[in-house]
Amino acid sequence: MKVYRINDGNTLSLALFDEVNNSKALLDLMQAGTLEPEVAFLNASLVPDVFPLLAAAHKTLVAKSRDSLTTRTLHSELVYNYSGSKHITESLKRCGISDSTTYILAARFNASVDEMKAVAELVNGKEINLEELEGRSNQAQILKHYKISAQELGISSLADAITCRIASRDAL
Amino acid sequence: MQMEVDTSNDSLVLIKQGAEARVFESNFVGRRSIVKERFSKKYRHPTLDSKLTLKRLNAEARCMTKARRLGVSTPALYAVDPVLHTLTFEFVEGPSVKDIFLEFGLHGVAGERLNDIAVQIGDAIGKLHDGGLVHGDLTTSNMLVRSSTNQLVLIDFGLSFTSTLPEDKAVDLYVLERALISMHSSCGDVMDRILAAYRKSSKQWCSTLNKLAQVRQRGRKRTMIG
Repeated sequence: MKVYRINDGNTLSLALFDEVNNSKALLDLMQAGTLEPEVAFLNASLVPDVFPLLAAAHKTLVAKSRDSLTTRTLHSELVYNYSGSKHITESLKRCGISDSTTYILAARFNASVDEMKAVAELVNGKEINLEELEGRSNQAQILKHYKISAQELGISSLADAITCRIASRDAL
Repeated sequence: MQMEVDTSNDSLVLIKQGAEARVFESNFVGRRSIVKERFSKKYRHPTLDSKLTLKRLNAEARCMTKARRLGVSTPALYAVDPVLHTLTFEFVEGPSVKDIFLEFGLHGVAGERLNDIAVQIGDAIGKLHDGGLVHGDLTTSNMLVRSSTNQLVLIDFGLSFTSTLPEDKAVDLYVLERALISMHSSCGDVMDRILAAYRKSSKQWCSTLNKLAQVRQRGRKRTMIG
């Protein structure tokens, strides 16, 4: 796992898991609102780099500090913001996890060491290094989800293209 | 547990101040960034002021990302803050085309480099115009050359708008032509090379260049009589 400083002393802790076999249970806990500690689970195949996620986290924290979250919790807001779309249900479905997801990125704001240990215990899977994100991402799925054209990819990295969509969503 | 140590500071350092905005250097979640703040105009009615500022802020964000979708390099947008009226984007490492051309004026023209830049400029404008985007402020100081790749990066989409009219595109080119003539006459026929590249890049070059000929006769502003 890794901890990233976002702004004003707020941090985001990330842990990447593969071969997860209890995503249905995690999803049920999350939808019941009884996930303890509260954490965001993302479909990691849509995350080729941590930077866009950090930009989404920044956006989430700014919204939180102004009490203007669009979704119910801080961590669902992170998934929603990462999607770059305004459709909440679709965002959570696509960028969050489903019953059958085996490759998951867990994220928690201002997590203590113990909390991240608890997260690792919640998830039945193998924790792997975050460096694996790029190689394991599903580029075709990313291009489709974010509607990234070949022309744009000619001048920009995949991560920057995603970041731009996350940043400009509310300006469109 | 690994801890990411972040020694960078979030402080804002003023780089430039214009009539519409202030530009700062800062750090965005670990990357060097530029913050452009549109400040409020105290002489305007507060309601009107905040509406205009917000509208322009969003328009700039939209145009920048649209340009990227058209295959024209612009700094990557990191964040838009509608409350503070700021845009945060990537810090592009490299000189402006203005500085490069002025350098040519002082120490002699490097023909190959000049040609490469001119071709990239023409190509980029062609792509923008074919996609229906007019930059609105094409000057050599609004173009950077990324040091690592020599790639042209267009900046400052604060005056950009979408239009498919040959008139708007021609005026866009005319503004650049005037800027080149007044600043960089020692660089020779840069505009000709830019237009040659534009012709190759834009499918609608013919109507735009015809219009450009008319605009040259009368200037940027249209006569509005009759």
